[in-house]
Amino acid sequence: MMRLVRRQIPIGVVIVTSVIVMSDYFFKITGTGPLVTMLTNWGIILTAFTLGFGAINLFYLHTRHIRRRTSGQWFFSIWLLLMVVVFAGTGILTGATSSTYTWLYNSSYFALSATVYSSLGFYMTSGIYRSLRARNIEALLLLITGTIAVMRNAPALAVAAPILIDMDKWLSEFVVTSAQRGIMIGAALGAIALGIRTLTGRETGFLGRLTEAEREG
Amino acid sequence: MSVQLYPGRIFALGMLMSLTALIILYMELSKKTLPEFRKLAGLDALPEMMGRAAEMNRPVHFTTGLGELTGTVAPQLVAGLAVLGHVSELAARVGVKLVYTVYQAQVIPLATELMRQAYVKEGKADAFKPEEQIVYMSGEQFAYASAVQGFAERERPAANIMIGPFYAESMLFAETFFRIGAIQLAGTARGYQIPFFAVVCDYLLIAEEIYAAGAYLSKDPIQVGSIRGQDIGKIIALVLMLAGVITTAAGMTVIADLLKM
Repeated sequence: MMRLVRRQIPIGVVIVTSVIVMSDYFFKITGTGPLVTMLTNWGIILTAFTLGFGAINLFYLHTRHIRRRTSGQWFFSIWLLLMVVVFAGTGILTGATSSTYTWLYNSSYFALSATVYSSLGFYMTSGIYRSLRARNIEALLLLITGTIAVMRNAPALAVAAPILIDMDKWLSEFVVTSAQRGIMIGAALGAIALGIRTLTGRETGFLGRLTEAEREG
Repeated sequence: MSVQLYPGRIFALGMLMSLTALIILYMELSKKTLPEFRKLAGLDALPEMMGRAAEMNRPVHFTTGLGELTGTVAPQLVAGLAVLGHVSELAARVGVKLVYTVYQAQVIPLATELMRQAYVKEGKADAFKPEEQIVYMSGEQFAYASAVQGFAERERPAANIMIGPFYAESMLFAETFFRIGAIQLAGTARGYQIPFFAVVCDYLLIAEEIYAAGAYLSKDPIQVGSIRGQDIGKIIALVLMLAGVITTAAGMTVIADLLKM
């Protein structure tokens, strides 16, 4: 019974919904349109419902930090919970598209988000600094191509040595693009294989590992 | 009820059906002879990472990036969850605290069940504390990134495992965990983020390797067989590409027309 509830029913649901949604992509079948729309809507409703889990998880964790006065954390937890209440309250009272909510969002989260994004430049610089060392052939190739790309993007150097522009263009259009396409094809085939394993009920990693008894069938 | 095939998707359907047939065939064949599997250093290093965390008495951090269950990145999240299941078993076995930071709340019930099963399997059901180990951070990209960075600085995990779809936050994570001295395994099928992980992380799973992770870790011959079918698919893609290059150079559009069918 446990096996039926934990494994077979979830796998059965995955198989049925996958076949319906996939058929809708390839075939125009009269009458299936509303069914696919309904399944998609179920997905949206379930996603919205699980946000409640997130909120509970967040409140549980951070109230505990506050209660325990966790070092270096509790005052951030107070601030976080306060902001959750302020944002949720404003959204409920004025609507998520109101000017008040938009102002609140743009003045706080949007600005902070842009700040974190721009800090990426420093992280990239430190990462590149460490990686551009010719320790082996691969690192040497990375060093050479990286140096060409950096020099080409420095306007003064690109003007002084226009060949850098051609070299960078060649590297981007041929070497990088072909490698990226190889990776993309491999990834797409991998995703298809994962889908087929899931459809045939063999890939159950997302439900927990198979036990020996289950593996035997 | 009428059934009509959409034009422009005939070739894609044909390829999908052929690949499905191939993969199922190799899954059946592998029941008789187990195919050889290329070693994936990153996945083989998982016990070492757990051992290190146990020795240092520090937690292990796991993330599936900005993965969600609906949308094009869902397979990457599913692949990440398969690794999470295995890592949870290892963590339970050696008594290491595993913390899974969540971006999409919809993953919480799935991850809770997955991790609980892993702990139960290891006979350590009581050691699993979902409220401490599955932490919802935020559903906003950079709020999530900042929260994970904050977690890294405060808790200083001994190991960091990142499997799933990553975007601009990849470098923020990789560099922060590098700075605190965590051993790192990263895997993503997002081409633009692979180079960032490659230069910073100790171990890397490139694109298709993350999808194979579940099969690799399960040691299930049938799952491993499907990887061989996938490799045959790669050979077909290569042959089609070569044929496309040759026919196009010869002024023929046969392959291009076939793909447009």
